Amino acid sequence: MRFSCNWLQDFVDCADVPTARLAERLSATGTEVERVLEWPGGPPGVVLARVVELERMPRSDHLWLTRVDAGGPEPVAVVCGAQNLGRGALVPWAPPGTVLPGGTRLGLRRIRGHPSSGMLCSPAELGLGAEREGILLLDGDAAEPGTPLADVVGADRVLELEITANRPDCLSHLGVARELAAALERPLRRPDCTPPPRSGEAARELVRVAIANPDGCPRYCAEVVSGLPDRPAPLWMQQRLRAVGMRPLGLIVDLSNYVCLELGQPLHAFDLERVRPGGDPVLVTVRPARAGEALLGLDGVERVLDPPTVVIDIGGVPSAIAGLIGGMAGAVVASTSSILLEAACFSGSAVRGASRRLGLRTEASVRFEKGLSPELAPVGAARFVHLAHHLGGARVHPGPIDLHPGARPPGPPIRVTGEALGRALGMAVAAPEAARALRRLEFAVQEVGDRLAVRPPPDRLDVTIAADVLEEVGRSLGYDRVPATLPGRRCPAGTVASPAAREAVRELALGAGFDEAITVSLTAPLVADRLRPLAPPWPPIEVRNPLGPQGSVLRLSCLPGLLQAAAANQARGAERVRLFEIGRAFWGPSAAEPPEEPLLIGLVDHVPGGDADEAARRLRRLVALVVGVGGRCADGPPEVRQGRVPGLHAARAAELWAGGRRVGAVGELADGAREALELRGRTVVAELRLDGWLLAGGPAPQARPIASTPALVEDLAVIVPARAALGPALAAFAGGRVPHLESWRLVDEYTDARLGPAHKGWTFRLVYRDPARTLTGAEGIGLRAAAMEVLAEAVGARRRENA
Amino acid sequence: MTPEALAALAEDALAAIAGAADPDQLEVVRRRVLGRREGALTRAGAVVATRPPPERPALGRAFNEAKGRVEVALARRSGQLQADALARSADGEWVDMTVLDTEAERGRLHPVTRVLREIEHIFRGLGYSVAEGPEVETDRFNFELLNIPEDHPARDGQDTFYLSDTLLLRTHTSPVQMRTMLGQPPPIRVIAPGRTYRRDNPDPTHFPMFHQVEGLVVDEGITVGDLKGTLLTFARSMFGARREIRLRPNFFPYTEPSMEVDVSCFVCDGAGCRTCHQRGWIEILGSGMVHPQVLRHGGVDPDRHQGFAFGMGPERIAMLKYGIEDGRELTVNDVRFLHQF
Repeated sequence: MRFSCNWLQDFVDCADVPTARLAERLSATGTEVERVLEWPGGPPGVVLARVVELERMPRSDHLWLTRVDAGGPEPVAVVCGAQNLGRGALVPWAPPGTVLPGGTRLGLRRIRGHPSSGMLCSPAELGLGAEREGILLLDGDAAEPGTPLADVVGADRVLELEITANRPDCLSHLGVARELAAALERPLRRPDCTPPPRSGEAARELVRVAIANPDGCPRYCAEVVSGLPDRPAPLWMQQRLRAVGMRPLGLIVDLSNYVCLELGQPLHAFDLERVRPGGDPVLVTVRPARAGEALLGLDGVERVLDPPTVVIDIGGVPSAIAGLIGGMAGAVVASTSSILLEAACFSGSAVRGASRRLGLRTEASVRFEKGLSPELAPVGAARFVHLAHHLGGARVHPGPIDLHPGARPPGPPIRVTGEALGRALGMAVAAPEAARALRRLEFAVQEVGDRLAVRPPPDRLDVTIAADVLEEVGRSLGYDRVPATLPGRRCPAGTVASPAAREAVRELALGAGFDEAITVSLTAPLVADRLRPLAPPWPPIEVRNPLGPQGSVLRLSCLPGLLQAAAANQARGAERVRLFEIGRAFWGPSAAEPPEEPLLIGLVDHVPGGDADEAARRLRRLVALVVGVGGRCADGPPEVRQGRVPGLHAARAAELWAGGRRVGAVGELADGAREALELRGRTVVAELRLDGWLLAGGPAPQARPIASTPALVEDLAVIVPARAALGPALAAFAGGRVPHLESWRLVDEYTDARLGPAHKGWTFRLVYRDPARTLTGAEGIGLRAAAMEVLAEAVGARRRENA
Repeated sequence: MTPEALAALAEDALAAIAGAADPDQLEVVRRRVLGRREGALTRAGAVVATRPPPERPALGRAFNEAKGRVEVALARRSGQLQADALARSADGEWVDMTVLDTEAERGRLHPVTRVLREIEHIFRGLGYSVAEGPEVETDRFNFELLNIPEDHPARDGQDTFYLSDTLLLRTHTSPVQMRTMLGQPPPIRVIAPGRTYRRDNPDPTHFPMFHQVEGLVVDEGITVGDLKGTLLTFARSMFGARREIRLRPNFFPYTEPSMEVDVSCFVCDGAGCRTCHQRGWIEILGSGMVHPQVLRHGGVDPDRHQGFAFGMGPERIAMLKYGIEDGRELTVNDVRFLHQF
């Protein structure tokens, strides 16, 4: 919200405070200064002038020939295109030679043959506001013609402040002035609300008020004001309204807005003559709307209302939506001279509900919905009638109306002690010092020794408990005074938990040359379904209110997002794309229950050329990586079970199993999935579940003594079926059935004409060793036979002769 | 035969040694000087032995010195010639040592993970555990228990992704506070990193998915000073030892008092620059003393235990620290972007 420093100056001396210090003090006490604008006064050279003659230019549909008295000996002729002039109006005249804020230099011109000297200016042309249609109209008594405009419209400083949701009291100049007074340690002046003399018919002879639902309206104050002149608000008031971003609309509306921005109490004026056609008092009822009841708002929109919304019913006609917007029926117009002024307190939840249902927010609703004090309503009414009388010469009728069904006796004060405040802040706080700080914020404080009984000012509904008082004291004394300490008394015994296994896996992926990606967990249904090797057969969980179809479901796997990233990288010409992501997926039968959130690592290695052998090599490296994760971070490597995995290549895919659970899948992307993603070349992928079976830090390795006896090394050549898998063969060697076998590895795999297409050859290098003695050649023959036997059993191997 | 003659003999020999171009030439020189029969120096030695005894000590010293110099020079030159020969033969196996095998290159850590690791490292050093909670939360844990009232703007569909009437994608990691308090008695010292979601249309500083790190300390006698000291320690560990922080009063429903924390700009040291928008300070996190009502919801007696909590955004820190102008880059995963980290 914007605040005018000229306006704040009414309540606290701040004009002499440099902008930087103002911002620093406000910010340090909790009111963030977002921007400071230098608001210009009237440009030099422009003077006030009175329109003495006004006639249409012949053969023009919009131009006027005027003569204005600018304080000189002769009236000046000026041609003008605005339609809001009247004879006698006081307006700004920029004489020839003036340079307007837009850069235009004025001169003596002829327009369609008529002489025109300088120009009459709109607020926008003067740099005083946004209004470009219509000449700036000044209060006729503002000053004599010839007075420089800058004497009437001085420059201002405008603060744009961020007001937090708990401080509706600061949505007003007085509220911010109070903060500023406390922050600068200067006295606060309250606005003049001296009751004006009252005369005429008593208000209750004209208007009767009833509150049908006190829940929605704890207090309703009203005044009857008549004899309001049809003229603009004083220029200084218009200028303040403009400075804070509000457009002046006429005396009554401007006065209402002014009081609202000054005190934070929204006001609404009804045209008394229009709402009270007869001679009897008109009945004003605050009641819930009837279902289907319609109201044409001041913004020209007709809204159909529902019961929880509160309306102001005047003489049987809904005339305003409480706390939100007035209706066209009963709205003040230019000719309005008598009004019923409403200064009410509507409940925050009622206004917030109506605002949400109707999709409408207004200056009034943003204040009410945060919760305003009922104590503010009569103050707002008093300030309005004071200004209406003194600035507009209006008559204020006797017997102001004040219904207060929500009145409550004051509760007990909040009790705190200096000692407790100090204990919470972590520094010594003397009770008198805390009391002084609170009083500067208009808190009532009773001091008895170290004990304080505290009552916040009526508009500070946010302060209810001791912690709230602590905040007031803390921010007033300044957190910069609090010494910085570490909480060091006791540490909980036991382990300090951290996701160590996850970080170990991340390191393995990085070490294998994969770049870490973070993809968005929200995706499109088709994308989520494209590749989901580990997910149960449920559809992805839908978001009820997505931002768009691309993010309408929760992902089932990290892989589709990574593949999309790979495709995007490929489209941008990247040659090597090797990505991984560690994150959660969401598996559940419906959104009725919280889903399972497995922690997954997805890996994607893109082979640009599309070479099948290169893809096979990459796939093997990827398998080694994911199997190695199990070896490093679990009780042992998972078992690789070659077979079909939906979305993966029929002959290049496998599942990974550990502890009787499927924990991963790895393979080459199937053609279909590849095409759907518009990925060229081949891509190998893997996904591994990390939660539930990996151990933080992995199992502790166990050392064996290194034998110093010589080994018996032998190459074993065998013939196996062409589709024999190596895994079972290695597992067979690991089974412990070959005595003295220390290590084994495949050193050659080959095919040749003699083997034929149905078979292939394998050569293993086997190392036998007995730690106690040297093995003999004769023993070697027996060991070879044992090795052959387990291989034959595992993969149907037979001995290759004369190998 | 004089000592001078012996020294001159040595000088001649040294010049010949230096002039030998290969081991064969050097051997010729060695024989000529030190050969057992015809070596010039060897013969001079024999002559010295024949001189009268009074002359012998001086001549003997001169001979030994000359011989020593020659022997050292021979050994040096021989080593040098051998090394040259080896170098010539190795030259055929030249390897360009400036070529790096890209296949062996390590992958890059995502900048957000970099920041998360750093944050975790700092707080683990201060004795914090790392806690996690589900990303799909209940309305109760995400809002209600944290004192965010029914009609708070965050709770309507404008800002929060809902999955059902009661399930939603968590909007902050603060629910982990509540889960931690309900799961263990004080003292508590945890940080909770993780993904969070808000219904924001993406722009350079707003993303529907982002990360947050929540911190929670609950113990007896916890003060605003403890909050300040903890966050000052964090700020200096994260952004440099010269950093200062300031606490600015603010409002969050789940803390009272609440404050935003600014750190003095680590680019300009507080003088004012583009990174800090000429302010000298950069807002890095929100914090406060845990609201008594929130403690009660977590089963903690606010008369006995107090606590502080804080929350920060790793994306924001990554953007500040690494000069990332458009945070949307962080989920595009362009390898050219990732390779900068």
